[in-house]
Amino acid sequence: MDKHSAPGPQEPNAMIGPGHSFNSVTDKISSIVLREGAPRGWWIGFGIGFVLTNMMLVSLIYLFARGTGIWGVNIPVGWGFAIINFVWWIGIGHAGTLISAILLLLRQEWRTSINRFAEAMTLFAVACAGIFPVIHTGRPWLAYWLFPYPNTMGLWPNFRSPLIWDVFAVSTYASVSLLFWYVGLIPDMATLRDRTVKIIPKRIYGVLSLGWRGSVRHWHRYETAYLLLAGLSTPLVVSVHTIVSFDFAVSITPGWHATIFPPYFVAGAVFAGFAMVLTIAIPLRRVYELQDFVTAQHLDYMARVMLATGLIVGYGYLTEAFMAWYSANPYETFMMSNRMTGPYAPVYWLLITCNILSIQALWFEKVRATPIGLFIVAMFVNVGMWLERFIIVATSLHRDFLPSSWAMYAGTVWDWSLFIGTLGFFVSLLFLFIRFLPMISIFEMKTMVPEAEVREDLL
Amino acid sequence: MAKAKLDRSAFMLPAGHHLHSVQRIALIVGIVAAGLTAFGAMSNPVQFFRSYLVAYLYCLALGLGSLGILLLHHVVGGRWGSILRKFLEAGSRTLPMLALAFVPLLFGMHELYEWSHADAVAHDPVIAHKSLYLNSTFFTVRAAVYFLVWITLATLASRWSAAQEEGGGPAVNKRLEFLGRGGTILYAGTMTFAAIDWVMSIDVHWFSHIYGLIFVAGQVLTAMAFMVVVASSFAGRAPFERIMCADRFHDLGKLMLAFIMVWAYFALSQYLIIWSGNLPEETPWYISRLSGGWEHFGSALIIFHFVLPFVVLLSRDVKRNPRSLALVACALLVFRYMDLYWLVVPSFSPGVFTLHWLDFSAMAALGGLWIALFVQQIKGHTLLPLGDPMLAPELAEGAES
Amino acid sequence: MSENSNEQPIYGLLAEFSSAGELVTATRAARKAGFTKIDAYSPLPLEELFEALGLHKSRLPLIVLIGGIVGACAGYGLAYWTSVIDYPINVGGRPFHSWPAFIPITFETTVLFAAFSAVLGMLALNGLPQLYHPVFNVSRFAVASKDRFFLLIEAVDPEFDYDKTWSFLTKLEPRVISDVEH
Repeated sequence: MDKHSAPGPQEPNAMIGPGHSFNSVTDKISSIVLREGAPRGWWIGFGIGFVLTNMMLVSLIYLFARGTGIWGVNIPVGWGFAIINFVWWIGIGHAGTLISAILLLLRQEWRTSINRFAEAMTLFAVACAGIFPVIHTGRPWLAYWLFPYPNTMGLWPNFRSPLIWDVFAVSTYASVSLLFWYVGLIPDMATLRDRTVKIIPKRIYGVLSLGWRGSVRHWHRYETAYLLLAGLSTPLVVSVHTIVSFDFAVSITPGWHATIFPPYFVAGAVFAGFAMVLTIAIPLRRVYELQDFVTAQHLDYMARVMLATGLIVGYGYLTEAFMAWYSANPYETFMMSNRMTGPYAPVYWLLITCNILSIQALWFEKVRATPIGLFIVAMFVNVGMWLERFIIVATSLHRDFLPSSWAMYAGTVWDWSLFIGTLGFFVSLLFLFIRFLPMISIFEMKTMVPEAEVREDLL
Repeated sequence: MAKAKLDRSAFMLPAGHHLHSVQRIALIVGIVAAGLTAFGAMSNPVQFFRSYLVAYLYCLALGLGSLGILLLHHVVGGRWGSILRKFLEAGSRTLPMLALAFVPLLFGMHELYEWSHADAVAHDPVIAHKSLYLNSTFFTVRAAVYFLVWITLATLASRWSAAQEEGGGPAVNKRLEFLGRGGTILYAGTMTFAAIDWVMSIDVHWFSHIYGLIFVAGQVLTAMAFMVVVASSFAGRAPFERIMCADRFHDLGKLMLAFIMVWAYFALSQYLIIWSGNLPEETPWYISRLSGGWEHFGSALIIFHFVLPFVVLLSRDVKRNPRSLALVACALLVFRYMDLYWLVVPSFSPGVFTLHWLDFSAMAALGGLWIALFVQQIKGHTLLPLGDPMLAPELAEGAES
Repeated sequence: MSENSNEQPIYGLLAEFSSAGELVTATRAARKAGFTKIDAYSPLPLEELFEALGLHKSRLPLIVLIGGIVGACAGYGLAYWTSVIDYPINVGGRPFHSWPAFIPITFETTVLFAAFSAVLGMLALNGLPQLYHPVFNVSRFAVASKDRFFLLIEAVDPEFDYDKTWSFLTKLEPRVISDVEH
């Protein structure tokens, strides 16, 4: 598994630009945080995000005032944008954990320069995802009913329901991702503490770094803890999207009740997540001139992972289609033919175009080596994975078992404004993170420079 | 750096290695058991075909699983795969023999598959609907296609590997990588349908989307466990000791653990979804596997195929010691058979536990012959891919000292 | 020789090195010379330094294992107790003790408890958070988080003698040797 991570002694390490030292790595990364003022690109990006965040807030306030009637959901399509957006966002988060945990266990050095912001992306994506389950009832002030707490009504949640599994999975995922991210940040915040000259940031970074002083005894336990967290996060990330897929699959709705759902959802999540990492990384490395740290090699590997997971998703589509026919169940067969030729057929074929056809370009080394080409493919996948969830939710519900209740579903202005608003919320959080915390792990990047080779030629 | 010339003969199967005697014993056991099985086939053809199917699927897992791991290795790389590569290639070269061994099943179609009965097709609309896919002609054609794909992949993998060893250079490395990419897709795709054809269609009314993947995971795990046992017999012996070191067995142990978890994950996903859905068209499959004695089999699988190996393989020391790892792998090989038995046989005997002496003799016959053939394939080839760029540093080091 | 460490005039001596290799050599030499109350400081984790300082297995995996087991029992116990004992209710004809349905939550709580054990255990064993430490009194120590390596010999070490230790450190050819004030 370390095929690409062991360059020969003479070969330049493609994971970091040439000529870097402990000093230059520290300077380059920490200066992004410690410099006076932010570049104009930062202000533009954050500004757009901030405006859209306000749109999200307006949409939420209007929702709380008027109720879910402002959305497009109605019987028979009772699950609409809220679940689509929830699944889409939480899926995006999964690439971050995959990069930081699974690639660490597989000793893939290329994770090092992208894991920090990928983890941040996970957290912010989970934050965006978390909004929807809380608000989709229209009564977010009762969201705590989801938790098993002793109450005067003497009731407990139904532990046979996947929706309560979701509460546990998503809250565990958010907590563990936060821990993982924070633990990774501790040594870097100590670096920022030691580098900044201003008293208030010094105090803040000092407290957040918990007084980290780089003791080798501490590093020793730290490394163990970090590896253990990676080992725990790996099955966790799989379990989260598995449980999200159970939300659908344990029901008996045609198109949802499919045993392939767990692995197919997990692959889809990683697929979408890598698309999002590329969507963020490609502009970012350009604006902040980080081509030495996020190299062409990184982009190439991310594109490969995207292609591989995309093909697994394709496998999922194929089995769904084949089994719908093979089952000889009229409801299953109808669901699939409705998906492919019914009123939502254009959406279905658009999703196939985005998720299956567009990624075939990644077979070519030329495309993987062109950031702009990769960016375009990643955008296709971002859209395609959202459409996939739309198709799963809408086509299975809008033709239910009772033909008299058949209807069409579409989002209203408020559905869209909330969804686009969460995009802005995500972007704002990301820009704040870039401004105030090191977006690349400083201490891990140090392990990649030649100085990290220990030579004892003194004695 | 001057390239030290490697002595190929040093990397061949040593004369005194106990794989030679294993081959002799396997061959004798295989031939004797084959005779017994042939006798059983005359007296009880129905039971013979059932027993033969399970044994066949097990040996197929060894051969085809090897191909699967081999192709995967060509995609993702890693030293763990380099040390297994020659064994995996040998395993995948048994596929032509496995294709031959499939032929008896074609004669057993009528005994094994309800859909091959014309009256069933006539009276059951579900079977009639499926007869477009499940009919004896198309079934045979598909099987031929699967084997064609698998044998082609296996042949190319071995041929290009040999070319690499003769100094093929980057062009051959690239070709192998491409083979891995395309081959992994082809393997997963064909095996999915093969699992549907050969096993799932026994319960002709039942269907599960994840079924193919459960088979793929099982095959890969079977082959992995087998190859760990083979590789462990070379640990600590010159000239392999530097390459088949504790670090590599640690990797293999981790991979085995990962495959066990994947298997458990697929199996649990299928069970939980069907259990929760509780649909009359799906649950009978589990009811026939969880009653009349089969339920103990199911519990044993949870404990011995997942919990126990999982806990044992968490230990770093177990993974780093080739002997203890091989012991775990041996146990897994037994439980892999149990899993296959539990997957297949309750379809013929729903809710009534059954075990026939033909189950043992068919497994001994096919298994013995397969092992003999496998060792034959190992002989005459180097045991390490000497042209593998991943191993170049270690091999060069070994040649200098 | 004083009996109370607080009566030592200084906390210890801190030697600064410019490469990890020098620190590894120095740490080995210090241990060989019989010093036990020593610590090394590095801007990045290095396997060689762990070995030089004689650090082996940590107790952390055991703590995490216990945390995980507690989490598993807590998760399954919660589902079992609420669904079977405290408020048994028939949902869709499923048994009260629906063990397959309890697995997802059991898994999540296992991971949750184990992850918290890993982080809190690591911090507790490391004695963090500890915002004040005498080494921070050395102004040059700020580069310990950037690109320099330090070796600390504490004054409470039985072998510690200010002048002898100073000359011992000098022989290791550090860039600077500093007194660490309390």
